[in-house]
Order: sequence, then structure tokens, then C-alpha cells
Amino acid sequence: MSKKSYAVLGLFDTPDALMHAIPKLRAAKLGTVEAYTPYPIHGIDEALGLRRSPLGGMVLVMGVLGALTAFGFQYWISAIDYPIITGGKSAASWEAFVPIMFEVTVLFATFTAGLGMLLLLNRLPFFGHPVLSSKAMKSITRDRYALALEAESETFDSAAAAQALEAAGAAEVEVLPAPDRSPFLTSDYILRTLGSIFVACLVAGLGIYSLIKWFPLLAPMKYMQDQPRLNAQKASTFFKDGHGMQPPVPGTVARGYLPTATGTQEAAATLVNPLPRTKEVFAQGRKVYSNRCEVCHGALANGAGSLTAAYGAKPANLQAQQFRDYPDGKIYWAVVNGKNAMPAHAAYLTEPQRWAVVHYVRALQRAQNATDEDLKVVAP
Amino acid sequence: MSQQKPTPPILLGAVALGAAGVLGTYFAAGPERFWANWVLWFVLMFTLGLGSLFIVALEHLVSAKWSVPVRRIPERLATLLLPAIPVGLIALCAVPVLYPGSRPEAAHHPILAGKAFWLSLPFFSARTVFAFVLVVIALAVLVGGSLKQDVSKDPAFNFRARKFAPAFMAIFALVITLVAFDWISGLTPEWYSDIFGVYIFAGAFLSGLAATALSLLYLQGEGRLEGVRQDHLYNLGAFLFAFTVFWSYIGFAQYMLMWYANMPDEVIYYKVRLAGAWRAITFALAALHFILPFFALVTRDAKRDPKRLRRVAILMLSAHVLDMYWLIFPALGGSPRFGWPELSFALFFLGGILLWIRGAMERGEDMPVGDPFLREGLEFRL
Repeated sequence: MSKKSYAVLGLFDTPDALMHAIPKLRAAKLGTVEAYTPYPIHGIDEALGLRRSPLGGMVLVMGVLGALTAFGFQYWISAIDYPIITGGKSAASWEAFVPIMFEVTVLFATFTAGLGMLLLLNRLPFFGHPVLSSKAMKSITRDRYALALEAESETFDSAAAAQALEAAGAAEVEVLPAPDRSPFLTSDYILRTLGSIFVACLVAGLGIYSLIKWFPLLAPMKYMQDQPRLNAQKASTFFKDGHGMQPPVPGTVARGYLPTATGTQEAAATLVNPLPRTKEVFAQGRKVYSNRCEVCHGALANGAGSLTAAYGAKPANLQAQQFRDYPDGKIYWAVVNGKNAMPAHAAYLTEPQRWAVVHYVRALQRAQNATDEDLKVVAP
Repeated sequence: MSQQKPTPPILLGAVALGAAGVLGTYFAAGPERFWANWVLWFVLMFTLGLGSLFIVALEHLVSAKWSVPVRRIPERLATLLLPAIPVGLIALCAVPVLYPGSRPEAAHHPILAGKAFWLSLPFFSARTVFAFVLVVIALAVLVGGSLKQDVSKDPAFNFRARKFAPAFMAIFALVITLVAFDWISGLTPEWYSDIFGVYIFAGAFLSGLAATALSLLYLQGEGRLEGVRQDHLYNLGAFLFAFTVFWSYIGFAQYMLMWYANMPDEVIYYKVRLAGAWRAITFALAALHFILPFFALVTRDAKRDPKRLRRVAILMLSAHVLDMYWLIFPALGGSPRFGWPELSFALFFLGGILLWIRGAMERGEDMPVGDPFLREGLEFRL
């Protein structure tokens, strides 16, 4: 039965006639009553008994979800995954997240409203709605008002529906055939769509690549290359004194650059090693020692390094009682500022490295002067 | 027009009790606290009246039809600007007490000295009087003309009002900015915020809307204004809903920029308001002025439910009072002050405002019966 009808369309000349017909047709219970008018008519929603659209609720839920997504994302990025201190603010500053949360809320909400209405509620895409191809369509969009009795089930009786419409005052009646609801998302269609997108990307990418390669003068955006910048060790017109490099602001310390021990070695004696004695710290100290100390002080810290003989230098024998009695701070001071012929190492070692090597020197001293108790402690 | 009802003695009693407390405040709690309260209530009266007048002018500006049936209510509320004028003139006495820019030591202040002319009492008073004159002209054209139209039924008023409305918008912008910058932000003259006038506008418009909705529902409870249906209520509710978001948008934008830049002269404003008990008030303000009304009005049914709308309107008005308290009272220094002086001022001014509005609600017809668009407005449907 290919001529199965989908709906019967009744045309009315005035909106009043349409409104009066609605209750009669709804009472007849022949099928879903749907109205098609050139402009919105007040009160037609109530007359048709349209259910409340669920779109508002969907938009609210998605809007809240958008806010939470934006918050979660920003929190994860700026407080967990890659925390960077900006402007002295805490990494998890909710104030900074609010504008993005607002935008994403709006984004989620509008997309839900638009796409939800079109795809979920109106069930688009649907290109073959029978009313669109009806003869009455032209006048529906211009000056006439149509009511359709649409099939709810297989038992739709189009003859009875036409009769009911005429009885309700319809000037003309048109029976519409069932729409072609065959699925259009066939594998062929999907393949062709994806193929087209791929080809389009390929062509565009190759085109832009060759354009930039062959016409390098036409760089699309080079503002970042052209911007004025400061170079270390170079003159600059930006600052009054004409230097590119500037001394730090008085009274400030850059992060990770706490002032090193200055003053006399005696004054540094009170400094306390801030690092714990852990395996990692000793490993780091050992590395630093072998890189920067061992060549003069020797692997056992006894002053017998490989360079000693070649240059006739006399590095300190750190196993001597004098150095074993040194407090940590005095060793640290010597590392930072140098002593006698020993150069300062402040520029080569970070603060943790300096203290780690102090720990390691202590370990070397104890290893060379171990007592029986030490052996007992070390025994597993 | 309904017959004159006797004034409820409880209102008169409240005003009398409040007046005693107000006088007592000056002598017992000191002039600073007295004037802070006085300025608070002046600003509240003035912003409520201005916000209502803005609703009226907005209707004429955009030729809105739906609001014609309810227009008489903001028109009546706008007459609150008349008693606000003497209150404001008295409030000028507060200027040398409360406003640092007008005190003699300002002449030696590196920042204030340069603005001495603007902040000095003579020019301050001149600006205030100028604002009052502008407001009275606007009242005469928009409200006076509308009341006359009840009798004359002359549609020429609509054309006149429509022509005047754009000029009123300029006047309104000027006056609300003067209120914001002179009366409120003038308490902390070393602090600047360009957006502050817009922030006060948002609060004023919201309070006008809330008072309109509340008066409308009150009159409907008396069996008046029966032509106003759910559709009109919905529009009022939607305006309220939208402007809670606008208020918080402006308020947060101002806060966030200052928080980000972290300039000492700017953040001090928030530093004060986020310390001690003020912190709780700040969060309460955010909850009462935005979060609560936003979620209370978010659904379609809520916007046209009279019960819900009445509660939200009361909430909005209280939040506006809290907002102004939050803006003005930190100028006294220290933790938030609340006690019998504030209660007496609230009794006195609230009672006075209610008395005035009760009287105003009998002015003219309940709807602008002479307006040719009234029918169209009554037929308005969503």
C-alpha cells in the first residue's frame, strides 16, 4: 500500500475560523492536530494543547554543566597540571576563572538551545516533510491558515479526517502522502562526506603550505617576529639608561634566587643545612661533588685530587680535624664564596645543590673516620 | 479612583518612634553615624524614584505597548523623588562631616588637593541642586503630562513623551552618575571606578522594577488593576531576572579588574569589605542580590507566579538596601554598625516612604486611561 496517506490538510481563510475548528478536531481524536500559519497566532498553543517544551530545562542543565566544565578545566590546568604563579595570585584563583565560566556557560546553553531544538525536538534533518510539498504550501506562507490531521498510527483514516475537517469549516482539503523517511545517513553518504572533508583539508593545507614556501615575503602574520624586544647585553631605547638589561628592583628578590651567604665565614657558622638527609639529597651531593670538587679535593675529600700534582696546588684536606669540626655553615660559605685559591661556586650551583654537597662532604668525613658503632648502624 | 482610606496608625506610630530615634542618634551616637544613615536613606529614596522614572521613560523611548497598563505604578513611585529633594538638601550637611574631599585637611592631601574645586561643598551643592532641577523637569513632563492625559485624553502627550525620552536618558545618565560618584563613591575619593555609575544604575533599575511589581501585586490584592494579566507579570519578572544578572555582571567586572591589577589604591576598597564581619555581608549581598533571585526566577512559571514574584520583589528591595549599606557604611571605619540608630532610621524613612507611596497610589486613575495605546497594552499576550 504505497499510497498510504500521512496527513490531511484543511485550509481556512481566517485565523478565527482556524481557532474555532481546533477544539472540534481535537475532540474527534482522528490524529494529531497541527497548525500551519503564516504568522504566530496568539492562544494557538493552548488551543492545540501543546506540551511544554523541554528545551528550557535542557538549556539550564547544559548551562550549569558548561560552568562546571569551564571551572574544572581551568582548575585542573592552572592549579594541578601546570601551576604558574601569575601576578602573585594563587594558582587556584576562582576570580580569574569566572569570565571563561561565563562564556562557556553561554556557549553550552546556546548550542543546546539551537541544536537541541533543531535536531532533538524538531527531528531535523528531514527534507521531505509532506506539508512542504503540498499544493497548499504557497498560500500557507502567505495568506491562508492550515490545520493538519497527522497520522498517529497505521489505522489513520484519511477519508474520515477529510470529512471532519470539512465539517469543522475547512474551505479546501488536501490529502498528503506519507513522507519518505528512509534513512539518509547511509554508509555511502557518510563516506562521501568524510572523503570530501579530507580532500578539502588536504587541498587547503597544501595550498597554504606552498604559498608560504614559495612566497615567503607574504608571511600571513608576523607581528610576533616584528615586535620590539629587549636583548641581554644589548642597548635598548626602552629604558632611560639605554641598557637592555636592568638591575633588579631595589628591595626585591627573584624567585629561586635568595641571597647567598655573604659576610665573613665566622658569621655563616650559624647557618643550618635546610635539606634532609635523604638518599636523593646524598645522590645529588655526590654528583655535585664529583663534578666540581673532586678534581682538587679528591674522591675521598682528603685533598689528593688529580690536579694537585700538575699545578702544585694544595687544596684543603677535608678529612683534617679542623674541617671535621667545621659547622655546616662554614663549609657552605666556602662553597659559595671560595677560599684562598678556591674559586667561588655561587654562579655554578643552585642553593639546594650547595647544601646537598655539604651533606655529602659530611658523609665522606664520617666514612673515612668510621667507628665500630657506625658499622653496626649501617648493617642491614 | 477609590475613596481615601484612613492612614493606618501603625505607620504613623512607626514614623513618630523613628523620628525620636533619629533625633536621639544625632546626640547619642554622634553626627557621623547620623549622617551616614541619612545619606543611606537619601540615596535609597532617590535611586528608587529614579529607577521608577527610568521604567516610565524606557517605555516611551522604545514605544513599548505591553507596559502601558502598568505604567501608572512606576509613575506614582517616581513621585518619591519629590520628598527626596528636601531629604537630599538636608543631606548636604553631611558633606563636611563624612566626605573627606570636602574637609579642610583635603587641601594638604596630595591627591584631593587637585580635585578640591570639584569636591568642595559649594560645587557639590550646586551639582546636587542641578540634578534636582533636572529630575523635577523630567517628572513634570513624564508623570505630570501622563496624569493630565487621564482627563484630556490628548494623544499629543505620547508624541511629546516620545520626543522627551531620549533627552531623559541623557539626563538620567548624568543624574545617576552624580548620585554614584558624588554621594557614594565620594566617601572614598581616592578610589576610582569608571563603571561605578553603571553599577548604581543596575541597582536603581532593579529596585524600581521590584517596587513596581510589589505595588502592582498589592493593588491587585485590593481588587484593582484587574486588566493586568500573567503576561504582564511575566514581562516584569523577566526584567527583574535579567537585571539581577546585569547587576552581578557589572559588580563582578568591577571587582575582578581591581583584583587582577592589584593596585593598592583600588583594592583597598575591597580589602575593607572583605575583612572581618564585612566579609559576611559581602557574601550575603552576592547571595541575596544575585544567586537567590536568579534561581527563584529562572523558570517560566516563576516569573508569572504572583506569590513568587512578591517574595522576590521584597527580597530585591532588601538586597538594594543591603547594597547601599555595603557601599556607604564602611566609610565610618571599623566593623559594620547596626543598632538602634539604624533601626530608628529604617522605621522613620520606611514609614515615611510607605506613607508617601500610599498617598501616591491614589493619584490619577490606576491605568493611564487617556493613553491611546492602553487597549493594545491590555491585549498584550506573550
